[in-house]
Parts: sequence; structure tokens; C-alpha cells
Amino acid sequence: MKHFVFFEALILTVLILSIGIFAGFFIESWRTGKVVEDYKKFEIGSMDLKLQNYYFQIMDSANCEEAKKQNLDFADGIYSEGLIIQRYEDLNQLSDDLILEKKKYVLLDTELWLNSILLREKCGDFHNVVYAYTQYPNDQKKAEQEAISKTLEELKKEMGNEIILIPIAGDLGLKAVELQMKIYNVTYYPSIIIDEEVVLEGFHTPEEIKKHLN
Amino acid sequence: MPEVMTFVYIAMFFFGIYFLMFFLLIYARNRETLFDYAKTKNFPFVSVLIPAYNEEDGIEDTVNSFVSIDYPKRKMEIIIINDGSTDDTLKIARKLEKKYGIVRIIDKKNSGKADSLNQAIKIAKGELIAVADADSYPDKDSLKKMVGYFEDEKVGAVTSRVLVKNKEGFLGKFQDIDYRVIAWSRKILDYVDSVYVTNGPLSVYRASILKKVGGFDIKNVTEDIEVTWHILSEGYKTRMSYSSVVYTKVPMKFKQWLNQRIRWNLGGLQTIYKYRKFFFSSRNSFGYFVIPYVSLAFFLALVGFLLFSRFVFKKASLYFFSIPFFFQGYNPFKYLEFYIPVTLLLILGILFLLFSFVYYSNALKDSGNKGILNILIYALVYRPLYLVPLLSSIYKIIRRDVRWFTK
Repeated sequence: MKHFVFFEALILTVLILSIGIFAGFFIESWRTGKVVEDYKKFEIGSMDLKLQNYYFQIMDSANCEEAKKQNLDFADGIYSEGLIIQRYEDLNQLSDDLILEKKKYVLLDTELWLNSILLREKCGDFHNVVYAYTQYPNDQKKAEQEAISKTLEELKKEMGNEIILIPIAGDLGLKAVELQMKIYNVTYYPSIIIDEEVVLEGFHTPEEIKKHLN
Repeated sequence: MPEVMTFVYIAMFFFGIYFLMFFLLIYARNRETLFDYAKTKNFPFVSVLIPAYNEEDGIEDTVNSFVSIDYPKRKMEIIIINDGSTDDTLKIARKLEKKYGIVRIIDKKNSGKADSLNQAIKIAKGELIAVADADSYPDKDSLKKMVGYFEDEKVGAVTSRVLVKNKEGFLGKFQDIDYRVIAWSRKILDYVDSVYVTNGPLSVYRASILKKVGGFDIKNVTEDIEVTWHILSEGYKTRMSYSSVVYTKVPMKFKQWLNQRIRWNLGGLQTIYKYRKFFFSSRNSFGYFVIPYVSLAFFLALVGFLLFSRFVFKKASLYFFSIPFFFQGYNPFKYLEFYIPVTLLLILGILFLLFSFVYYSNALKDSGNKGILNILIYALVYRPLYLVPLLSSIYKIIRRDVRWFTK
């Protein structure tokens, strides 16, 4: 009977592991749920922005400031959410639900980019800085993307409302995104697309980027 | 789908938590009887064998301890085996032989501990043979509390609880904790007939069984592990008397500690290899628990090391691949942040640490070092040091550095 302890320990271990795994699933679901909930807000914001854009298209340039402000606020919000998703991506170990949610955000980002292109044509004085990166980097690329991401983050802090920073994962299998990348000749990830005119492949110093912003 | 690595981590936690549960369950049911021992009124003749190689500093105190032990003197003899010492060990032994009538000496050329013991077994008169190190200091009642187990005919060996005599400094203090944890876990294994080491500082063997298994293996660097496995593989039992305390001197320098642990690891691996055919095929718990358990302990330590190395490598590679950008003005260290994210592995890690804490605090219940800080340092600093000798041993095996195997 004393050898029964081998099975009792097994049952207890399965129980404890199940509790741990269940808690892990719960936390990951909570994170995904949070992203889904935030997405709903951004989805409404995006539609609002799109409608505003139609409106501003037919208005005179006197309304540009308001349009730019709306666009910028939305861009900043979606950028912050992108950072949160990025952090969650590294933490979720059990399910890949988050990647599906991320695809929606990437589509929103692409929509924002298109919006910003139109707005820039109409109102001018700001820059679109699109950071196109790969969702599946190896260690070397991860370091490169980390360097670019931090450099752009600093640049955004420095230049504030002068630039709209839009990070987009280019290889999530989204046709609209792939088409957009093709239009601007993005063949390498990570790349920085400035004002739809210049494509900087790989890491560039803030000074080099600034040269194209002036 | 989760990544393969997630499954590897979960498997690691599974085995880790399983063994913790296993030990804690047995302890919970038997904690009242931990210090119980087999009482007897029969005191068989015991030959105490003390092999000594350059032990001039400790041999006299050790022999004095055994002479003053609480055991009928007409029922014991002490045989000092001078293994070709180049210091004054023999001179001191001669003095002790004159002083005490129960002391005998074998003086021989250096041939190692196992061979010294085998030569002594041939002339030993005892029905039981006690083996002790030349720097062992038993409590007075230790032997008395061991011999009663031999009333069970199937018992081939009984081992004692080894504690540290020199507890000074970091190494002394944490080896004291380590020896207590080892002794406690060994006693727990006693309840499932799986005592797999009869330690060098003091263990008692039934002479007939010791002779049957051919004594100690001279090719094995840990003859105490090997002989225990040999006894178990023959279908006999090995027991532990937790209340039989013997004190030993432990290495005080890291290099000595490392050499000792490398020897333990090499001996362990050597013994697993020798008895591999018994894997899941023996009449007792030896093949079904002892061999898989010891093998798994080595394997898990190695996998744990590989996982940790992978983690460090991944982090380091991020900085390594940032070097070209560093020369362009990007400083990755500027963005260092410290946060502990709540993940599945963190939850499992916390559960594992919690149960480990319960495990260690029970093992150290009668120790002065049972404080949280000591347990944390032991679990997070001292225990990971185990990897150094383990990796050194594996390196030696890969390099076919067989000196350890033949010495």
C-alpha cells in the first residue's frame, strides 16, 4: 500500500499543473479580451475618422488643423495600443488568438495610413512615417527592428505633431497591406517609408531620417 | 498552438512538482516516525573499518569517537587501513593500536579506498561491517540505533544521517543545509525502500551480503553508491536510521568542493551506466524507482541548464546583434526595463517555488538555518551551483578523461 503514494503524487501534480495552466489560460484570455475590447473603440474611431476625411475633402483648408488633430490623436492612440499588443505577443504562451486580433489592428493602421496620405495631400505640413516590419523576425532581425522601433519612438517624442508614426507588420498575409507595400516598393523588412516618397531599408540614425523630413 | 518550448517547460514543471509532491506526501504521513529506529537487545559483533590516506589531522579524533561510542566493546573491533599514507597517519594509528585493545591496523600500499575496504573485509570478524571515513565523528548512540534494522534478514545495509562538523563561512553553512536536505530526502526514500546511497561517513553492512556482492567496486569513484545499488539489485533492502547522527568535515574551498562533487557526479553516472540493464526490470523498487529517479535527476538538471542557457543566449543575442547599430549611435542599454510579466510559466514557477519552500523548510525543521533568507539563498544560489560539477563531469566523460574511473 505504501507504493500507492506514487499515484497520489501523480494525481496531485496533475491537479496543481491543471490549476497553473488554467490560470495561464485565464490571464491570456483576459489579455486577448482587453485587446478585443480596445479594438472596438478604435474601430469606431477609425470609421469616424474616415467620415471626417470625406467631410474635410470637400471643405476648404481652413479646417485642416482640426482634421490633422483628429488624425494625430487617433494615430497616437493606435500606436500605444500597438505597443501593448507587441508586449502581450511575447507573453502569451498558450494560444495564438492574439495574432488574429493583431491582424485587425494592422488593417486599421493601413486605413490610417491611407487617411493620412489623403490628409497630407490636402493639408500638407506634417510627415507620414510608416515603419514596415516583419512579424516573424529571427534574432538578428529582432535586434534591428528593436533599434529602429526605439529610434522612431525617440524621433516621435522629439518632433511631436510634425510626424504621424504608423508601424505596420507587412507579412501577416493581409492582401491590402501587401498591395500597399508593393506600391511603395518595400521589398525588405524592416523599412521606413517617409511621405510615400523615400524608402529607407534597415537601420538609419535619427539624423539620416531627419534629412528626409526637412 | 503553443510553441514546443512551452511543452518542454511544462514537462519540466511536471517532473519537478511530481517529486516535490511525492516527498511531501510521504513526509506528511510519516513525520512522527522520522526519528524512530529499530530497537534491539541483540548487539552483533561489528567491525568498524576506517580507511585512511594521509589523515594525520583527523584519524585520532575519529578513532576516539568510535572507541567511546555506546556499544559493547567486546562486540566490536576497529580496523584502520593505512592506504600508503605519506604523512604520520600510520604512526598515529600504531599509537592508537597500543592504546586501545580493539584497534587493529592494516598497512598497505596505496590502492584506493575501495580496495582498502575489500582487504579489510577479508580479515574482519564482525557479523556486521561498519564503514567510516577518517574524518567522521559519530554520536555515541549512532551505531546502537542502526544494528536493530538487521533483525530483518532482507536488510543488507543501513546508513546514517550525515551532518556537517565545520559550518563556517558560506560553503560551510550551505553545505550544512545541503547535508540536512540530502539526509531528510534519503530518509523519506526509506519509506518506499529506495535508500540509494549508504554514505561514506558511517554505514553498516551485513558482512555476508557484502561478501556475496564482492565487496566494493574498485573501478567506481563512488564505491558507496555502487555497493548500495549492488545490494539493491540483488533484492536486498537498504535502510536509513535518521536518528543515527555522524558528523563529517566538508570542503571549505570551492575547488575542493568542486572536486568532491565532480567525483559524486561521475560516480553516479558511472553507476547508472553499470546498472542500466535493471531499468524497469528488477524485483524491487530498484529498477522501477531508484534508477529512473536518479537518472531523471541528472537529465532534468541538464535540461534545466539548457533552458536557462537558451534564455540567456536569446537575451544576449539581442545585444550582440545590436552592436552594428551601437556604433551608429543607438544605445540598447538606454531602454533596459525591469518588469516581471504574468505568464503561464511564471505561475508554474511560483507554484514550484512555493512547494520547494515547503520541502526545504520541512527538511530543515531541526536546523538553525531554516530562515526564509537561508532557504532562498540555498535554493537560488547554492543549488544552481550543482550544475558546475555536473557539466564538468559530462565534459570529462566526453573527453574520455578516465582518470576518475580508474583511480
